[in-house]
Amino acid sequence: MMRIQTRCFGEASYSQDAVFEFPHGLPGFEDERLFVFLSQPATHPLMFMQSLAHASVCFILLPILAVDPNYRLSIPPEDLKVLRLPTGGQPRIGTDVLCAAMVSTAGDNRPHPTVNLLSPIVLNLRERIGIQTIQTLSGYPHRHPLLALNPQPEPASCS
Amino acid sequence: MRRRAGESFLIGGEIEIEVLEVSGTRVKLGIVAPCTVLIQRKETQITRDENLSAAGSVHRDRIFSLLEKMARGGVNQTVKTLTAVSPLTPKDT
Repeated sequence: MMRIQTRCFGEASYSQDAVFEFPHGLPGFEDERLFVFLSQPATHPLMFMQSLAHASVCFILLPILAVDPNYRLSIPPEDLKVLRLPTGGQPRIGTDVLCAAMVSTAGDNRPHPTVNLLSPIVLNLRERIGIQTIQTLSGYPHRHPLLALNPQPEPASCS
Repeated sequence: MRRRAGESFLIGGEIEIEVLEVSGTRVKLGIVAPCTVLIQRKETQITRDENLSAAGSVHRDRIFSLLEKMARGGVNQTVKTLTAVSPLTPKDT
């Protein structure tokens, strides 16, 4: 096990198989190429995508199927190539890839927490490669409300 | 403005956009612009802004307040297990 300084939880230990390479970084974070994926019982089901290079760079993720059980991937061929996946079809979430949505917590100009369903993080678990794929034609929103604003069952804009 | 394949238009004096190909609902564009002009899809810009604000929103207290709200219901929790992630040592929680 190796140690890493995290943004919110002090020092944490991780194993090499939790490290994923993002060959292009992420939009806005083009130079961040290596991330460690961390989870802990106290913050379940959240997952943390912690930059290996900079402790201050961390993202909160949720498994995309926890947000939308019917979520469908439409990864463009060029992104499938980066992930070293066959370009003939879409990978299955959970078996071929892990797919997670980035969470923005409430605060500042955001009254409620939201998740980005437009640009999910997709991980090829076998190759340990990741990408943030932008699903242009999907119609999924980039600010999907994470919490159901009960009681009225407002249909999600993405379904 | 209406343009056909092969026709182009100008934005200011230095940016030219040509419609190269139209097929079905897709249009292929050619863009000539100074190298100082960033050309990107709008979704990339949206994703960049969202990433920056997501990264800025990561604070320990906000994480736990988020978890509290999630525990009170509202989030679909059908998927509870994550694979291939190593546990953080919960030493300081």
